[in-house]
Amino acid sequence: MEFVNPEGLRLDGRRPMEMRQLRAEIGAVAKADGSAVFEMGNTKVIAAVYGPREVQNRSQQINDQALVRCEYSMANFSTGDRRRKPKGDRRSTEISLVIRQTMEACILTHLMPRSQIDIYVQVLQADGGTRSACINAATLALADAGIPMRDLVTSCSAGYLNSTPLLDLNYVEDSAGGPDVTVGILPKLDKVTLLQMDAKLPIDIFENVMQLAAEGCKAIANYIREVLLENTKQLEYRRGL
Amino acid sequence: MVGLSLGEKHFIQGGIDQNIRSDGRKRDTYRPISVETGVIPQANGSARIRIGATEVIASVKAELGRPDALQPDQGKVAIFVDCSPVAEPMFEGRGGEELSTELSVVLQHCLLGGKSGAGAGIDLSSLIVAEGKICWDLYIDGLVISSDGNLLDALGAAIKAALSNTGIPRVQVAAGALGDEQPEVDISDEEFLQFDTSGVPVIVTLTKVGRHYIVDATSEEESQMSSAVSVSINRKGHICGLSKRGSAGLDPSVISDMISVARHISEQLINKLDSEISAAEAGEDEM
Amino acid sequence: MASKGAAPSTYTPTPTKKTRPPIFSDSDVDWLRPDGRGFHQCRPAFFRTGAVNSAAGSAYAEFGNTKVIVSVFGPRESKKAMMYSDVGRLNCNVSYTTFATPVRGQGSDNKEFSSMLHKALEGAIMLETFPKTTVDVFALVLESGGSDLPVVISCASLALADAGIMMYDLVAGVSVSCLGRNLIIDPILEEETFQDGSLIITCMPSRYEVTQLTISGEWSTAKLNEAMELCLDACSKLAKIMRSCLKEAASASQD
Repeated sequence: MEFVNPEGLRLDGRRPMEMRQLRAEIGAVAKADGSAVFEMGNTKVIAAVYGPREVQNRSQQINDQALVRCEYSMANFSTGDRRRKPKGDRRSTEISLVIRQTMEACILTHLMPRSQIDIYVQVLQADGGTRSACINAATLALADAGIPMRDLVTSCSAGYLNSTPLLDLNYVEDSAGGPDVTVGILPKLDKVTLLQMDAKLPIDIFENVMQLAAEGCKAIANYIREVLLENTKQLEYRRGL
Repeated sequence: MVGLSLGEKHFIQGGIDQNIRSDGRKRDTYRPISVETGVIPQANGSARIRIGATEVIASVKAELGRPDALQPDQGKVAIFVDCSPVAEPMFEGRGGEELSTELSVVLQHCLLGGKSGAGAGIDLSSLIVAEGKICWDLYIDGLVISSDGNLLDALGAAIKAALSNTGIPRVQVAAGALGDEQPEVDISDEEFLQFDTSGVPVIVTLTKVGRHYIVDATSEEESQMSSAVSVSINRKGHICGLSKRGSAGLDPSVISDMISVARHISEQLINKLDSEISAAEAGEDEM
Repeated sequence: MASKGAAPSTYTPTPTKKTRPPIFSDSDVDWLRPDGRGFHQCRPAFFRTGAVNSAAGSAYAEFGNTKVIVSVFGPRESKKAMMYSDVGRLNCNVSYTTFATPVRGQGSDNKEFSSMLHKALEGAIMLETFPKTTVDVFALVLESGGSDLPVVISCASLALADAGIMMYDLVAGVSVSCLGRNLIIDPILEEETFQDGSLIITCMPSRYEVTQLTISGEWSTAKLNEAMELCLDACSKLAKIMRSCLKEAASASQD
């Protein structure tokens, strides 16, 4: 199947280096300490952060650090065919672990010992790149909750089909069986916190694809920074400053 | 949730006795309701409802299936509710399962009527494609995103809005299939049949705190309730389902009184919901 | 396939406004129910306490073809995982045997009965009399012959009384089915399959309080009031039968 036609357009009309449209909203869930909705094209994810709060399970308490927990669940109606089990299957457990490790690396956990930070991510619509959307939403939610972090974490995926590196794969391109590289970086510090890949790629092409994904991450970081700045201006305005 | 102190509990109960609640509402006023339809493009119909701080999403998906052997001229409808941990940390893992099952069962009683299918809010015989062989299976999924009391009303309203947004694709059935053979079916991608939702009931929950009943309780007020009655009423004023929660016993005359109060309130609620739903659909068509 | 022919003709199914013919025409007041009862007559009730020796309290109930056995364990120590609570806890479980229904294994459709039993009983038990402990109620439906949940609730309250758990009053449960325009009390399995609506009430007769009320199907107010009065009347009669059973058991043990 042709994923990039001879004019250089993909199946949904984008160019190979073009990302899908981003949209973010902060403070969707009133009850949570921090929450955010993040959309990348048709993939829509809602994240909520509860914490820092007292550790529920005493045996898991860490004396010099905060405990970070994460749960990823997909709604019944998020994929094309209706899913039966929203959570508890292997893929959800793996993604929960990945998100937890990524966020734990950037939260300054030593500032909140003996406490617990819960990150819950719920996928409302899945159209490829759910992992990245979840990490971006979690970053926004953590910032909304006021939890101290080293830097924002942003994530983006890239692939290689029809001999072209493609940025931000959607579901059709992802299920084509080609390689799928997901990268998570700390943009200001320019460090990689997450790197995953399916299928196989020769090393030199891999470097190109990873570079493309890292640039996508930086673009998302700029957008997230704008959204956070706008949100802070709103808060200032409401406080009358 | 952080517990309430004795002073706060007295404040809530005293306010309800004097017909002024913590947020200034009267006992029979709903919080502002906002409706958005078509939020999930992949589903046949969907809606997102916000009542105050409670937010739920309902989606309807239709798939072809075999009708039940006992009722070969009716389609099937299944309702599932999922409580997302985004709403409450305690819904993590299997914590929200009990509440989800309870909500699913109450919604099934309210919307699907008796076992023979009579009195159902949804006309099941309109879902049949080939009698005895193929019918539409409707899967209605509810997702609770933010929970601040009164989940049943919000879910009932969301399901009503999602059903009015649902389009069942038109099918072409190959005629002449004999006996047990499955006829070939061609599902059209373009044409859709809209669902008729004038018979779908709404759910009104009355919470009894002290000696008075309030409508649309927040989660603080719900923690003070002695009992709650959720009544499902349709446009004609008939009761389509009722369920009582809460540990205190109720006098039967009190229950009859609550039912008549609920009927009175449901008229306003149905009108308000219908106008909001048509506004949401009109807004969606413009886009 | 030969039946299809060269060019299969297709048709689009249109929603037909067929209504199912009602089982009763309007004035069928003299129709007899399969077991010969009148519309407002309950089945004869049989109760016996002390059915299970190893339990703190137990009861067996038989209403026509519906046979239920309930055993109560407790008050026993709550699991360490549960937090401290200064009132007692009630834990209910209703399960069906695999041979209870005409078609094997159909009983698993009724998962919500456990929480409904809990709701019906929690208003009647004085939970403050056994803090930090749990009372377990296990109900087993041996044969399902219609109107299962009310029988389970009545039998469970007898078992609790047999176990010596302090209660405000006995809980009696009755259900009413609506078939066409007729209200029939205590329906059997066949009548339940064709019902247009059902109403289950459990109440504490001497306090005249309703602990649990579940309605499904479409009801008008007049029918609802009539059904509620019918049920409450039947509940008080049922409670008298339950009391006499307890008195018999007590006097038998004294002899």
